[in-house]
Amino acid sequence: MNRTQKSAWFALSGLAIFGAISSYVFLSILAFRRMPHFSVALVGLLFFFAYLGCGSVVLRKKQSPAEPESDERDKIIMKNAVLVSFFSTWLFLAAVTVIAAILVGEDGSVSVYVLTLVNFAIIWGAVLIYFAAVLVQYALGGENGK
Amino acid sequence: MENERISNRIRRLRFDHDEMTQQELADKAGVTRQTIIAIEAGKYAPSLPLAFRIARTFNVSVEDVFQYDSNTAPPE
Repeated sequence: MNRTQKSAWFALSGLAIFGAISSYVFLSILAFRRMPHFSVALVGLLFFFAYLGCGSVVLRKKQSPAEPESDERDKIIMKNAVLVSFFSTWLFLAAVTVIAAILVGEDGSVSVYVLTLVNFAIIWGAVLIYFAAVLVQYALGGENGK
Repeated sequence: MENERISNRIRRLRFDHDEMTQQELADKAGVTRQTIIAIEAGKYAPSLPLAFRIARTFNVSVEDVFQYDSNTAPPE
């Protein structure tokens, strides 16, 4: 596994942990109208930072001393992943607006915090799709990096 | 529809050069081992500079390493 793959796995699992903690905090505050259990959020946050620390140590390890950060094939794979992430983001945004319009109706309204949540979800999803696309391309072998 | 493919003799050349490992070749060519694996398997066509670096590692010409197979004739 090269450094790009390792970074992608690291980022993907980090995003999952971050997503779980954020969901817990947001759902507690916004959906259940109560403060999240401080100890649970704190333990989650500490675990997240410990994960970042361990990951940075693992990512420093190279296959060989001469291994580059990334080579031309990695760059093609990352470029394709950016495209996939970009178009997925637009599709997701379009889907959210259509679903919201259907659910709420033409005279309905949504709370302001829903827009904040949608924004966070889109950013989180775009990054998630980017790293997933990188891993999928490596897993499929990538005919000329595709 | 044009059917083109770039084949290579990297595996043969590695064994002819003291059974050079993929990692050793990757280090000399300045790429990752995964890229050498993909090139050897014919799944990735390297750029021209990388093709030259690989050829120079084996002290041969690019055409001794890579062969271009196409069903269509080159333009006149």
